[in-house]
Amino acid sequence: MIRFSNANVTYPNGVSAMKNLDLEIGDGEFVVIVGLSGAGKSTLIRAVNGLVPLTSGELNVNGHQVHDLNRSGMRELRSDVGMIFQGFNLVDRTTVLKNVLMGRLHKVPTWRTLVGKYPQADIDIAARALARVEIIEKTYTRASDLSGGQRQRVGIARALAQEPSIILADEPVASLDPPTSHVVMRYLQQISRELGITTIVNLHFLDLATAYADRIIGLRDGVLVFDGPGSDCDENVFESIYGRSLTADDTMAKQAAL
Amino acid sequence: MSLTDQASTAPTLPRKPGISRFAIGVAIAAAALTIITARAVDFSLGEIIENFTRKNSVIEGLFNPDWGQIWSRRSRGPFIETLQLAILGTVTGATLALPLALWSTDFGNPNRLLRTIVRTFNSIIRSIPDLLWASIFVASVGIGALSGLLALFFFSIAVTTKLTADTLDGIDRGPIEAAHASGASLTQMLRTAVVPQILPSYTSFVLYNFELNLRASAVIGIVGAGGIGQRIEFFRGRGDWEALWGLVVMFFLVVFVVERISVTLRRRLV
Amino acid sequence: MSGIDVAPLREEQTIELPPKPTPTFRRVATLIAVALVAWSIWKLDARWERLLDAPSDLWTIATLMFGRMEAAKFFDLLGAMWESIAIAWLGTIIAAVFAVPLSFFAAENLVGKAPAVFVQQVFNLLRAIPEIILAVAFIPLFGLTPMAGVLAIGIGSIGTLGKLFFEIIEGVEKGPIEAADAVGASRLQRLRWGVMPQVLPEMTSFLLYRFEINIRASAVLGVIGAGGIGSDISQALLFKDWGTAGLGLIIVVVGTITVDTISGAVRRRIVSGAPRIVQADLDDPTKFETRMDDIGGV
Repeated sequence: MIRFSNANVTYPNGVSAMKNLDLEIGDGEFVVIVGLSGAGKSTLIRAVNGLVPLTSGELNVNGHQVHDLNRSGMRELRSDVGMIFQGFNLVDRTTVLKNVLMGRLHKVPTWRTLVGKYPQADIDIAARALARVEIIEKTYTRASDLSGGQRQRVGIARALAQEPSIILADEPVASLDPPTSHVVMRYLQQISRELGITTIVNLHFLDLATAYADRIIGLRDGVLVFDGPGSDCDENVFESIYGRSLTADDTMAKQAAL
Repeated sequence: MSLTDQASTAPTLPRKPGISRFAIGVAIAAAALTIITARAVDFSLGEIIENFTRKNSVIEGLFNPDWGQIWSRRSRGPFIETLQLAILGTVTGATLALPLALWSTDFGNPNRLLRTIVRTFNSIIRSIPDLLWASIFVASVGIGALSGLLALFFFSIAVTTKLTADTLDGIDRGPIEAAHASGASLTQMLRTAVVPQILPSYTSFVLYNFELNLRASAVIGIVGAGGIGQRIEFFRGRGDWEALWGLVVMFFLVVFVVERISVTLRRRLV
Repeated sequence: MSGIDVAPLREEQTIELPPKPTPTFRRVATLIAVALVAWSIWKLDARWERLLDAPSDLWTIATLMFGRMEAAKFFDLLGAMWESIAIAWLGTIIAAVFAVPLSFFAAENLVGKAPAVFVQQVFNLLRAIPEIILAVAFIPLFGLTPMAGVLAIGIGSIGTLGKLFFEIIEGVEKGPIEAADAVGASRLQRLRWGVMPQVLPEMTSFLLYRFEINIRASAVLGVIGAGGIGSDISQALLFKDWGTAGLGLIIVVVGTITVDTISGAVRRRIVSGAPRIVQADLDDPTKFETRMDDIGGV
């Protein structure tokens, strides 16, 4: 479970990206966060695994008091939280398998990492993760030889390999075309349902948000302005979250038609 | 209205962007430095031409080198030794260079003070030329291959660390973030997210380092650190230019061949 | 809405990875490298037992060198360092004087393939010769004077400068050259207006880069008597005048780093223009993973 209590994040340059946030996300939920660029979506997601520290307030993730964690505690937390990035963040020069095995790093002793000999059990977990996103035939392919959608699937597999209880996805489909975006969102949704993984996704395409989210959270200028089921969200709700009228850029279907 | 009608009220052109003042300053400084230095060394073009065209045994020896010298009984051993020194110097130095370079980056060494110490250390190491290393080690541990090995060890660290550190400055930080986000330790992060990115470049640098070490190992013997340098010094003392050139030319033909191979290998890597 | 169905994974399925490819080239190369290293260690007559004594020997020498420095020698050594710098600078300039015109003859986009390759190989040949060997040759001709060093460095650098220069020339954009052609420029004019503006900053940068390297070369040429601080240091070591050697070493290090820093700054300024304001300081102690777009484009 994730709970923010009066949480604030102010960056060194003075920008306040999270203001008095009170938010609770239960186990297994599939939550989508929407908001304009600069609204604080990325900050919120990165606070959950401690990549962005809170300036004040409390954050509890699965029993860890994130704001109080020392370095090894932080690593322990992060090994339980998988993360998927807009830019995929794969090591282009290595194989898919080696990339996915990065998800096992916390559980594998350092000497094994140094020589590159991972235990069979961890390789099996990686294999399962690859199979789940249906990319196992590319196991020994260099990551740079894959398409965008394939790379993101590897990203998902890497997060899955951690056997996490939470998955964070920061604009996972922003670099992908519409059909691929749907595939990726479908994987995330299915993984969340089948494995009971709490999933938080940042999206800037509103039609994707309503299509896949159980619950939508709207942020504006660091403030939570909406929290409700996806079915409650229509254009008016989004316009009030954004603080402006919607454009074609806000919907994937309309932008694709441009 | 034609253009010529407007000639009397022609608009003023914007200021012509000439060569920047900085560039002019550099050019003047360079010219001044050249004049000053030429005076300092008593530069005389006439003297140069005269000395080059004068009959002398050095040039004569060059046109009649003793090709077999390198494999002669007394030069053969130093020749092999030169190769061995180059190999071992490269392997030892370049191996240490990788962790040292990683240690000088912000992601590999979050401690700012430690990082500055490592960088300063690297700077100092890099400003000592190979022969000076050799002289120092000969003075400390004595004449012979060991001082040559130590000299090339430090020289290799200097070369490879700098090149690797420069490459590390430009890597993709995304995988580093991903490694941090999955709870990996610093060492694991470096091994899986950083090293694979630079491995081809690093290997290329090691080969380049080897090329440099071949040249260095040939001459460190001049101060007594092993290799054919000692033979070069021997022939120089005796004025036996045919033997000297025979040795030198043959050796550098070998170096040339090795370099061609190394360059092709390096191209395949990057 | 998605019409894409993703197949669910059954837990009891056994997952098999595809067959693993064998990296033959890499294995063979590693084997050769290991063999060479093993052979070298085995056969090198390095009196390995001395290796254990080495650290303490080094420490002894270090304390001697840096513990007994005499201020009296300081200005002499400084003058010698200046001589080394002068030798390096002059040598680099001489090399540039020859390398610039020659490099145009090595550029395939200017003279055609055959003559270019020939000149390139001449450069490769010159590059292979260490300056000290050239100095060994020039000392009998010029005596134990700095001139021998200047020419050793000068001729030795023609090769590398030439190579760096022609690579720049080959990399120039065709646009300005074609534009000059289109307005009927002669070959020389094409050079002046099409090629030179692109090429001059980078050439100067490489010239300075070579100068930095040549400082190191000139510092050691003194070891065989071709002028500069190298002779002071090697003489000092020979006569066990440790303090002078140590002081000389420090001067070499400081002098080299100083030249490097100034030259490096000039180089960066030439190639990239006036300094820009840095957006994000990576050494920021708070180490936030800030993303520009998330904080409103600040």
